[in-house]
Amino acid sequence: MKKYLSVLLAVFLLVLSACSNKSSDDQAKTGDAKHPAGTITVWGWDVAAATMKAAVENFQKKYPDVKVKVEDFNSGDLYEKLTVGLAARGNGLPDVVLMEDERIPGYIHQFPQGFLNLNKLGYDKYKDSFNPAKVASVQDKDGNFVAAPWDIGPAGVFYRVDYFKKAGVDPNSIQTWDDYIAAGKKIKEATGKKMLPIDIPNYDGVFQMMMQQQGLSYFDQDGKITLQSPEAVRAMKVIKQLHDEDLILNNKGWDGIVTATVNGEVATVPYGVWYTGSIMDQAPDLKGKWDVFFLPSFKEGGTRYANVGGSSLLIPATAKNQSAAYAFVEFFTTDKASQMLGFEKYGLFPSLKDTYNDPKFTANSEYFNNSPVFKKFADIVDKVPQIHLTENFAKASSLMANAQAAILLENKSVESALKDAQKQLENQMR
Amino acid sequence: MITSKKLSTKILIYSLLIIGVILSIAPFYWMIVGSTHPSGEIFRVPPKLLPGNYLAKNFESLSESLGIAKVFWNSLYIAIVYTVLSTLISAMAGYAFAKYRFKGKNGFFFVILCSLMIPFQVTLIPLFEMMVSFDWLNTYQAIILPSLAAPFSIYLMRQNMQVVPDSIIEASRVDGAGELRIFFTVILPVTRPALAAVAIFQFMSQWNSLLWPLITLNSKDMFTLPVALSSLIGMARIDYGELMLGTTLSTIPIMIFFLLLQKQFISGILGGSVKE
Repeated sequence: MKKYLSVLLAVFLLVLSACSNKSSDDQAKTGDAKHPAGTITVWGWDVAAATMKAAVENFQKKYPDVKVKVEDFNSGDLYEKLTVGLAARGNGLPDVVLMEDERIPGYIHQFPQGFLNLNKLGYDKYKDSFNPAKVASVQDKDGNFVAAPWDIGPAGVFYRVDYFKKAGVDPNSIQTWDDYIAAGKKIKEATGKKMLPIDIPNYDGVFQMMMQQQGLSYFDQDGKITLQSPEAVRAMKVIKQLHDEDLILNNKGWDGIVTATVNGEVATVPYGVWYTGSIMDQAPDLKGKWDVFFLPSFKEGGTRYANVGGSSLLIPATAKNQSAAYAFVEFFTTDKASQMLGFEKYGLFPSLKDTYNDPKFTANSEYFNNSPVFKKFADIVDKVPQIHLTENFAKASSLMANAQAAILLENKSVESALKDAQKQLENQMR
Repeated sequence: MITSKKLSTKILIYSLLIIGVILSIAPFYWMIVGSTHPSGEIFRVPPKLLPGNYLAKNFESLSESLGIAKVFWNSLYIAIVYTVLSTLISAMAGYAFAKYRFKGKNGFFFVILCSLMIPFQVTLIPLFEMMVSFDWLNTYQAIILPSLAAPFSIYLMRQNMQVVPDSIIEASRVDGAGELRIFFTVILPVTRPALAAVAIFQFMSQWNSLLWPLITLNSKDMFTLPVALSSLIGMARIDYGELMLGTTLSTIPIMIFFLLLQKQFISGILGGSVKE
């Protein structure tokens, strides 16, 4: 009897002792806008979080009284925590949070009071420091900065130099999507490899890039749905043609793309610039066998530029230490050295234009066939068309992936599948 | 004739069993082999089925990116404290509901059963706000305390306690045992199989729990294994070797725990079936 009680007591004591070791006192102290002080917490994910951690040292040279705690989650987990915190009236949120650009309109729509308007804190003056398409994606309808722009993902087509050579295809000759399909046929004949990987029922990224080339997302600048526009039909028809010629490798998700890359199952991968990091990471032995050209256009001389991914920093409205949070956001996103940290180590491509003339940016990359791969991308960021992201982006994307599956796998006609997708999206937005 | 027929059925049964074993062991084997290869190798076609020599490297990078020892300790501490406390509470509550008579007993029990039907998503946000106002974010107790009283386990224990004959309890009372003593020395030993079942159930659910720890824990040194493993999945980079090793490590304690309590399980079942 006594034995049981003592065990019980011991367990309770253990729990209690665990309760008491908590220190949150140093968060209470805050400064003002001129002299920020105290501790701020920042939420981010893997390499982005690591970059911010590395930048703290420089930041503290300018603001010695501010301590920065960077907490690292995977992005899906971060959104879950953020949504719960916002739903709990902003309780338990950090002072600064990282977010992918395509998520921003959704969060602003669902929690209009959730984040600080950075214009009120003076961020407006950096409007011209970043490329215009990025600025457009982090501003609300009235042109206020709701997020501070960080990285972007200008799109290109990564290709296998050796496959192209073997098939006798000159990558520079690929100007239009028709050229791309013709090249694909040749390469398939010569090497037996398919042209590109697409997770047909789940991923419509190639379609998104094709739409952005033509200046649209799923919505036009007025927010009207564009799924039945001639641009959408044109893009989908190219994808259908690629599939009809058996040039698409239908594989599952992110892992599928990496697998295809490592094993050389495809001759090209159209993706954002950050894919350079993944190729180098996962396939170190393919050094010198990859290079990049720009997206083919729809007609000779048309736009060949688009963007895939990118993220920005937001300050929750309930941040306890707003002056220090703003100081960090302002410093980090506009400081060339901090931005170069993430670029050099992790391939995070800055939207801060100052960085593009850095020698490390213009250097040739040994892995990528000795070509100046990053300079290629830097030269086009200003030409990437601005598009309109809305809170319905995720819905539209999943409907488009369904439509893509219906067209390619169930032989539905392009026009009727897009019409159905448009109707479904209209219904869901009502 | 008969023997050859017997033999052929035996061969059939065994080959089916072998297929079943291979099917259930293959993913597990792949996980262990994967943890000994660098990330890029895992995607090779044909797959590398033999262990590689990258285990130490993977462990190094795993402890560098996670602090795996602390994470392991967090998980173990939380799961054990939780299992002990919640099994005890379930047993006590189940005993009370099964054997005591008090006002509103059925009403209470009905409410507890009803709470089984409330999805966690509904209570998540209010519970989170509570944790914030207690200043309990990023602590062990935020994970252990809210779910200590587990309705399903209470239900399970009550059903098992009901089978215990009242006469045993009455006899103990006549012999002068106090209520606590009856509970600990008479009731608990005879319901051992049920206790083991509840303990396994509680341990597994806490060990694998992701959503609630993810919401309440913020810093790496407080993460539990599922949260930490989830944080390994990056935006554009995933070190699969590291991930496989982490997953392997996180399944080992469950296997040990189950093997330990399996004995209890079986001895309990046997003990019940043989009446002398």
